[in-house]
Amino acid sequence: MTKLLSILGRAYVIAIFAFIFLPMLIILVISFSADSYLSFPPSGWSLKWYGTVLGNAAFMTGLKNSAIIAVIVAVLSLLLGLPAAYALVRMEFPGRTLIRNLILTPLILPAMMLGLGILMVFTPAGLVATYPGLVLAHLVMTLPFSIRILQTTLSNLGTDVEEAAMTLGARPLQTFLQITLPRLMPGVIASSAIAAILSFDEIVLSLFIVGPRLQTLPVVIYRYVNERTDPMVAVLAVLLIAISLTIVLLVERSVGFAKAFGR
Amino acid sequence: MNLHLSPAASADTAPPHIRIDRLSFDYGGARPAVDALSFDIAKGEFIGLLGPSGCGKSTTLRMFAGLLAPTSGQITIGGQNIVSRPPWDRNLGLVFQSYALFPHMTVAQNVAFGLRLRKVSKEDQRARVAEALRAVRLESFGARRPSELSGGQQQRVAIARAIVIEPEILLLDEPLSNLDARLRDEMRFEIRDIQTRTGITTLFVTHDQQEALTMCDRIAVMNAGKLEQIGTPAEVYDRAATPFVANFIGRANNLATTLSLSAGQPTLVCDGQTLPLPTDLPINAANGSSIAVMVRPHAIRLRPPSSDGLTGTVVRRVFVGSTIETAIKLDGGQTLIAELRPNSDDTALAAEGARVGVDWLARDMRLFAS
Ligand SMILES: Nc1ncnc2c1ncn2[C@@H]1O[C@H](COP(=O)(O)OP(=O)(O)OP(=O)(O)O)[C@@H](O)[C@H]1O
Ligand SMILES: [Mg+2]
Repeated sequence: MTKLLSILGRAYVIAIFAFIFLPMLIILVISFSADSYLSFPPSGWSLKWYGTVLGNAAFMTGLKNSAIIAVIVAVLSLLLGLPAAYALVRMEFPGRTLIRNLILTPLILPAMMLGLGILMVFTPAGLVATYPGLVLAHLVMTLPFSIRILQTTLSNLGTDVEEAAMTLGARPLQTFLQITLPRLMPGVIASSAIAAILSFDEIVLSLFIVGPRLQTLPVVIYRYVNERTDPMVAVLAVLLIAISLTIVLLVERSVGFAKAFGR
Repeated sequence: MNLHLSPAASADTAPPHIRIDRLSFDYGGARPAVDALSFDIAKGEFIGLLGPSGCGKSTTLRMFAGLLAPTSGQITIGGQNIVSRPPWDRNLGLVFQSYALFPHMTVAQNVAFGLRLRKVSKEDQRARVAEALRAVRLESFGARRPSELSGGQQQRVAIARAIVIEPEILLLDEPLSNLDARLRDEMRFEIRDIQTRTGITTLFVTHDQQEALTMCDRIAVMNAGKLEQIGTPAEVYDRAATPFVANFIGRANNLATTLSLSAGQPTLVCDGQTLPLPTDLPINAANGSSIAVMVRPHAIRLRPPSSDGLTGTVVRRVFVGSTIETAIKLDGGQTLIAELRPNSDDTALAAEGARVGVDWLARDMRLFAS
């Protein structure tokens, strides 16, 4: 009985993994296709679509824009999120619990609704199709994550160590810079990485506020896929996955993801 | 009110090094966590703060360290009230139960932290860190990370880090409770040894009465936020000021009795049996009032049963090594525990089921009017 259950359990887990990873595998295979249309399995192999993507000006501009925005969003998410997390964990003020509970609402709200709201505010403010506009829009998505991750890391640290530092003569700012911040590093790296990945992959909000002057890579890809489907799409997907994966691996290498999430 | 003479407080004319004056802290619970605590500490003294869990020991220590602001009351060091000073301005060494070492620094950097903030020169830092590490016998561990040390070693680093700044007072919050029994015994000795060598005034929090008795110059016994008694280990053990102290420190038998002053000679009546009282015992309780008699198990003596005094039946006899633990059910119904020495005359009488008489020396009992 237990044996049967364990076999079933294993089969189930394998099925789930297949469900998640099989599409990626197929995309990876198609990206090396020599055909000029999407087909599986490809009738021939080549790297030509990689060449086409790298030579495509629209894609490369989108990539550059997305990268710039992702970096700025990651930095701002940290700079804005850290004080917020600190206040939510370490300070007593009325409404703290309420804010703690509400902080994740942007993630539950339909992105469409957020996008529409953002568009209505940004148009009169002249923020549509600008770097500040896109950065601000992405921050709406990334800040809740950053604050949440930093909050978890911070509350896992406890206050003993900081109090010990203070009794040894450290003032609050010295304590924060020399004791709290170094111990917060895993959370800092993880939250920045998550913010960068979220921003880099973000499409719904971006669709509302990009314009011909400023496009992000996901938007360019989306528009392209609407018109054509050839193995170039697979290549783009592979590149997007590769970039996200690189960031994740860098985090894993430097601090370890489990640790970054305060396990 | 208690009937025995309390030990005369040694008349001290010099102002105390540290004075705690009606110190209180209220978290907003049913009762204050610390309630009008007052006592003095002399320079170089090793004081134990002893009490059951939740009696306010850590809260008291945190007020010392400046991590909590007292609801009311004062702490003065050398005549200066320190309660309004922030923690970084008090020059106190605090050792947490969790040690609270800086995990991202080496042992040497941990110990040097307080010196660095005091802008001590690099050379002096190195010399003083080495000296502090030598004091806790960790000379060769300076380059390690806290995570590479055993619990006892981490604890010694925490002590080194606290004493290297030459604090006015060293505060230790149950530093031994995370250690196994053997290491705990070693560390008791080491902590006391370090304190004796450095002469730092120390406040040592513990809920372990054995620890307090063996280590401290004086013990402040706390209960429910209040100070029950402060005195040397012998004083709190032999001359407990309250029933709480008597029962918290060491084992104690408690007999419920009634005071009788009728026959000229004061006696205590225990379920119909009488215990004579020495006439020189100062009595200021009324005839007929309830008196709790406290007597330590090792003070109880057995004799053949007779018509006067307490008599009872041995109901249990357990060999526990150095003593033989005997439970005697008195004829009135109350039970006494006696610790008898093996091979003594008393033990010979204490066969299970045997009838025995029970008594003790007058100086071995404490009386508390309830
Ligand atoms: N942050 C807090 N908020 C509310 N009540 C608290 C808080 N900290 C402690 N208390 C209460 O105050 C009282 C004293 O706590 P304290 O930590 O000083 O006890 P303690 O003597 O150190 O106990 P232990 O031996 O368990 O460490 C307890 O009744 C406790 O429940
Ligand atoms: Mg405590």
